[in-house]
Amino acid sequence: MKRAGTLCFVWLLMILSTTGCWNLREPNQLAFVLGTGLDLTKDGQLQISIQIVIPSGVDGGQESGGGTKGKSFRVISATGKNVYDTVPSFQAQLSRSLFLGHRRIILIGQRLAEHGIGNLLDEFIRNPQSELRSRIYVVKNGQAKDILSAEPIFEPFTSTALVHQQATLGLKRYYFRDFLSDALSQGLQPMLPTVRLTDSKQFVYSGTAVFNKDEGLKLVGFLDDKDSFYANWITNRQAGFALTSFVKRGNGNVSLKLQSLGQRIRVKMVDKQIKIDVHLTGEGTIVENNTDLDPTKLKDLHIIQDELSETTQRSIQRLIEKVQKQYKTDIFGFGERVHQQYPNQWKTMKRDWNDTFPELAVSVKVNLQCNPGENNSSVKIMP
Amino acid sequence: MRKLSGSQIVWMIVTTEIVAIIGINITPAILISKQDTWISMLVAGGIGAALTFLVVHLSMLHPNQTLTQFSQALLGKWLGRLIVLPYLIAWYTLSAYLLRSFSGFLKPLLIDRTPLWIIMLLLLGLMVYLTYSAGITGIGRYCEIVGPIIIFVLIVSFILNAGNTDWHHLLPVYADTGWVTILRGSLRPALWFAGPFTLLVVVAFMQNPQKALSKSMLGVGITVVMVFTATLMVLLVFGPNLAAKIRFSYFMYVRTIDILNFIQNMDIFIVFVWIFAVTAQLSLFLFVASYETAQLFNVKNWRNIIWFSPPAILIMAILIPNETVLAIYDQFWVSVIFPVCGIGIPLLLWIVSVVKKKASESKV
Repeated sequence: MKRAGTLCFVWLLMILSTTGCWNLREPNQLAFVLGTGLDLTKDGQLQISIQIVIPSGVDGGQESGGGTKGKSFRVISATGKNVYDTVPSFQAQLSRSLFLGHRRIILIGQRLAEHGIGNLLDEFIRNPQSELRSRIYVVKNGQAKDILSAEPIFEPFTSTALVHQQATLGLKRYYFRDFLSDALSQGLQPMLPTVRLTDSKQFVYSGTAVFNKDEGLKLVGFLDDKDSFYANWITNRQAGFALTSFVKRGNGNVSLKLQSLGQRIRVKMVDKQIKIDVHLTGEGTIVENNTDLDPTKLKDLHIIQDELSETTQRSIQRLIEKVQKQYKTDIFGFGERVHQQYPNQWKTMKRDWNDTFPELAVSVKVNLQCNPGENNSSVKIMP
Repeated sequence: MRKLSGSQIVWMIVTTEIVAIIGINITPAILISKQDTWISMLVAGGIGAALTFLVVHLSMLHPNQTLTQFSQALLGKWLGRLIVLPYLIAWYTLSAYLLRSFSGFLKPLLIDRTPLWIIMLLLLGLMVYLTYSAGITGIGRYCEIVGPIIIFVLIVSFILNAGNTDWHHLLPVYADTGWVTILRGSLRPALWFAGPFTLLVVVAFMQNPQKALSKSMLGVGITVVMVFTATLMVLLVFGPNLAAKIRFSYFMYVRTIDILNFIQNMDIFIVFVWIFAVTAQLSLFLFVASYETAQLFNVKNWRNIIWFSPPAILIMAILIPNETVLAIYDQFWVSVIFPVCGIGIPLLLWIVSVVKKKASESKV
């Protein structure tokens, strides 16, 4: 009798614990969120948009060529006091409960970014259902909602398309948590990749958004895609890119596909005056040569390397000056380098760093190594 | 009663300490010592080993006797018994605290619609089963299996996240904190490395008590190495500023694992292993508390106490209204319970034992 009683009890426990009935939630009861967009509406309200998967629209997508296939996603929006305040409004429109575990992307509309996003980050860490592996983008000249609604060329969703595109562009993985870590650090201002929508409703990567975290993570400006490559090179967020530049001594353009990028940032203290040395290295292959030079010859190769290095160096110098004078925010993390290399001096400097940064003496040295590519002298048929 | 082997002691220490430190003590330490928390963990390991040494050495002076027995032999019947009371309070309340805090950790993450008391009841059922059916030897054998699994899972989590690390997060070393801060950050983990003084009881059940010292030091050593690595990895992935903001930073760390968009959501494995280890931990406390209660009240069969102790633990756990109370208890543990039970009384007992031994030797 006693044994039967124990058995019953154990049975009950087993049923409760192993089947998980208490928290039963099948995939067909969930609405998978792939992307979240944050916008500020014209009347100053926070608007959240989410991109949710419609599984029936995704299944067998390749075979159904007759245009009978339904949409693979839907974008819904709601306004609220903060991020989570919109969830009940979403839930009111959906028969399935939201599931954030597969969120790939967080988009921030330009108007909201200019307004500042410093007080909107908490939910993304605090909510236990949240996902820290999302990537994050700023939407230039537009709203996050519109990017989520756009239909990309290859992928069924913009959210995954944007993630894949980062790899294609040679950008290193930069997650939302990396952004948080940057935003919380002392001597570094965060920057985020940006995307914009063309008139034909396609998204285009369009450089970098520069933030000022000391004013509540406000967007202070943009860098175009070329400058972004350089800025990402300095901050080790770029794995490779292609650069094209005019070589004077060869009277033509050379394109170089860079595949391994290196950077070394040294801080020098001369008479209590800080000097930053940025030393960038890159290795790549010449993929187009319109000059009179023959890169298989050592002398000509040196000419190409030197001129390419020099022009790149000048461009980067210009970029740093522009950021120093125009945006006045230390996106290169020079402050963090000072913090790391001169920790004791940093303690007194960190408070005025935003005033110090625009006046910093920064010297740039670029060293490019080129492989000649598949042919010797340029293939040119001149009239 | 069957006896515990040396390797069972090693794994018992590892299993019952490692998850508590990695689970709930990394973030509080990072809040204090920032990027130098890995140094704090090493310092904590040293302090913890010293405190463990004290407790084990004291037990070894009284072979085959548990705390209640040798304290009565040393201090007389009444004072000896009185001295055990704070230990019992500590073990019972700590069990309730762990039961409540682990369930509170589990609930929002995985089973948010399950009532808290169900989770607690399930854990309680496991620990009662383990303790009642096999006693300390069962717990020892259980730890011998679970311990290596824990180490394995931890190492896998370190390897899989190696690609997300950035060593710049550790810079500058030492300059931002200084040794006072590093020491302050090491205090809480140090107390956990020493464990909640269960060795005062457990050593008596060893087959070869003379090996207790080397085995317990090995156990603490393995724990320190794993905790150190876990702390280092958390810092390398999140950086000190973000890690300090995340309450369960190691768990979040596991959630960041993402290899080829394929190996993801490893947290589910970690939760599994955590449940194993928390069961071991709670069972050990339950055994120690029940056994010593039986000794105190001269109950012949300690298993009879099982009718009383688990309900008491469950009621206490249910009565904890919210997580801020847990924080208060935590503070109480560090400032009162541990100094009394982990340092004060063992030191007193140790001095008395040594003096008595000297006295009896000089008589001869």
